[in-house]
Amino acid sequence: MTFNDRIFGVLMIVLAVAYGWGATQFPEPFGGSEAVGPETFPLLLAVVLGLSSLYLIVRPDPDNAWPWSRTGLELIIALVVLVLYAMLLQPLGFIISTLLAVGTLCWRMGARPVKAYVTGGVAGVVVFLLFNFALDLSLPLGLLEFLEVS
Amino acid sequence: METLGFLIDGFGVALAPHNLMFALLGAFLGTLIGALPGLGPANGVAILIPLAFTLGLRPETAMIMLTAVYAGAMYGGRISSILLNIPGDEPAMMTCLDGYPMAQKGKAAEALAISAVASFMGSLIATIGLILLAPILADFALTFGPAEYFALFMLAFATLGGITGKNPVKTVLAAAIGLIIATVGIDNTGVQRYTFGVLELYEGVDFIIAIVGLFAISELLFFIEDRAGGGKESVAVNKLKLSWKDIRGIMPTSIRGGVLGFIAGVLPGAGASLGSFISYTLEKRVLGRKGYFGEGDPRGVAAPEAGNNGASSGALVPMLTLGVPGSGTTAVLLALLISLNITPGPLMFTQNADIVWGVIAALLIGNFLLLVLNIPLVGIFVKLLSVPPMYLLPIVTMVAFVGIYSISNTTFDLYFMVAFGVAGYVLRKLEIPLVPIILGLLLGPEMEKNLRHALDIADGDWTVLWDSGLAIGLWVFAGLGLILPYIVGPLLRRRMQVAPGGAEGD
Repeated sequence: MTFNDRIFGVLMIVLAVAYGWGATQFPEPFGGSEAVGPETFPLLLAVVLGLSSLYLIVRPDPDNAWPWSRTGLELIIALVVLVLYAMLLQPLGFIISTLLAVGTLCWRMGARPVKAYVTGGVAGVVVFLLFNFALDLSLPLGLLEFLEVS
Repeated sequence: METLGFLIDGFGVALAPHNLMFALLGAFLGTLIGALPGLGPANGVAILIPLAFTLGLRPETAMIMLTAVYAGAMYGGRISSILLNIPGDEPAMMTCLDGYPMAQKGKAAEALAISAVASFMGSLIATIGLILLAPILADFALTFGPAEYFALFMLAFATLGGITGKNPVKTVLAAAIGLIIATVGIDNTGVQRYTFGVLELYEGVDFIIAIVGLFAISELLFFIEDRAGGGKESVAVNKLKLSWKDIRGIMPTSIRGGVLGFIAGVLPGAGASLGSFISYTLEKRVLGRKGYFGEGDPRGVAAPEAGNNGASSGALVPMLTLGVPGSGTTAVLLALLISLNITPGPLMFTQNADIVWGVIAALLIGNFLLLVLNIPLVGIFVKLLSVPPMYLLPIVTMVAFVGIYSISNTTFDLYFMVAFGVAGYVLRKLEIPLVPIILGLLLGPEMEKNLRHALDIADGDWTVLWDSGLAIGLWVFAGLGLILPYIVGPLLRRRMQVAPGGAEGD
C-alpha cells in the first residue's frame, strides 16, 4: 500500500502551485524591482517543493498504518483536550485548566482517574506557585481570582 | 596563544556563581531528559527554551544552561539503554548492545559507572578538539561571501539526512516546507508575504512555537497511539564495585571512541549515531577475539558512549563557527542563539567572544559536573525512570504550554503549537524528517538574505552562485550528500540493523 506518500505528494503539489502563484501576486517593493525581489526565493521554493512532491507520487515509500478505531478516537480526545486547554487557560485560570487537562490526559493514557486528577491538580498548583512566586511571572488565576492575596 | 586567553576569559564567565548554578541545573535537567524514554535531547532543549526566556536570563547564562542540558541529555541517554534496553535516542542504540547484557548479569551499576567515565572522556576529548578547531574554522569562514554561504546552507540541508538517511527526497521536501514557513511575514523589503491579513503572522512564525509543537506535542500523540503509558520493567541496580583497574581498562577504548566521535560530529552528515556506531565496530575489530562483545563487555559500553558524546560536542563546531547545525539538537541551540539576537557564524567569535568562550568553558566544567552528578546520583535518575509515561508526558505537555504561553501571553500561540503538533505527528507517520523543517525555519531568512546579496553584487547574474572554487566545492559536497545515501545508505543501515539484531539473539 502506497497511498500515504501519494496523497501527501498531491497535497504538496497543490501547495507548491498555490504558493508559487501567491508569490507572483506580490506588489513591487518600494524603490523599484531588484535582481532578487520578494518573489524570487518563494518561486525557487515552489519549484523545489513541486519536484520533490512529484518524486513522492512516482516513487512512494510503503505506508505506515494509521490508527483507526479506538486508538484513533483516543488521539482525537487528546487533541480536543489540548485545544480546550488552550481555550480555557485564561477564563478558567491556570490551576483549574491544568487540573482538567493533565488529569484527563493521564487518565486516557491509562492512569486510574483519581490518581490522574490528583497528579493534574498537584502539577498545576506547584507550577503556578513556582511561576508566580519564584519566577515572578504571572499565570492567570481565572476562577480562583478570589484567592489572590496581594 | 590567543585561544588560551579567550578560554581563560571564558572560564571567568562560566565560573560566575549564577552561571555555574544554571550549568548545574542544566546538567541535572539534561540527564533527566536524556534518561526518560521518549524525551530526546532535541525535544528537551526545545521545551526549556521558552523557560530560559521567561526567566529573563542573560544570553550567556541561557546559552550555558542549555548547553549543559544538551551535554547532560547525552549522558542520560545511556541510563535507559542499559537498564531498560530502550535507547533514549538513536545514538544510544549501540550502548544497548553490551550495556543491557551487563545489567542482566547483575552489573548494572558498573555499566552505568563505566559509561559515565567513557562519556566524560569522549566529551573531554571532543571539547579540546572544539577549542583547537573552532577558531581556525571561524577564521576560515570569514572569507566566505554571500554566494559561499548560500552554497553552505544547501550543503547543510543536503547532508542533514545523513549518510544513513532513508529517503533524501523527503529531506529536500521537508527543507522546502521549513523554508516556505520561514517566508511568512514581512520580508526585508517591507512586502507582506502570505500573512493573509492576520496580525499575528506579520512577524512571521515563531520557530520556538514550531519546534515545541513539532517535537513535544507530536511525541505525546505517538505515546498515546503506542499505548505505551505503562512503561517497562527496569533491571535492578546493584551496589557499585568498581576498581581503578576497570577504569584503566576502558581508557584506550574511550579515547579512541572520543576521537572518532569528534570527527563524526564535525563532518556534515555523519552525526552522533554514526559516531557511536563507528567507534563500537572499530573497537570490536581492534580487540577481536579478546573481547566478548554483545555479551556485556565493558569496552562495548565504553566505545559507543565515548563516540556518542564526542560526536555531540563535535557537532557544536559547525554550529558555532558557521551557524550551520548538523543535528536536531544543535539546530535547537541555534534557535536559541537567533532568538537571543546573536547572529551565529564566524563573526560571533569576535563580536560575542564572551558568549562563545563562556559556552565552551561551560562545556568543560559541565563535563566534570556531570561526571560527579552521574556516579553518586545515578540512583535518583533510576528512580525517576520508573515514573510511567502516562504521568510524565501530560506533565511535559503542560510545561510546553506554560513555556509557550509565557512568551507572549496569548492563546493564539498555543493553538499554533497544537497545530504544529498535529502536523508533526502526520509528517512522522509519513517518515518525513522534522529536523530539516526546523532548519529551514531557522535558516530561511539568512539564506534568502545571502541569495539577495550575492545577486545584487553580481547584478542579477545567477552564475555567481557557483563562481568561486570554494562555492563549487560546497555544491559538489551538497550533491554528494544527496546521492551517497542511495549508494552507501542501504549498506550501512543493514549493518547497523544486523548489529542490534545479533545481540538480541544471544
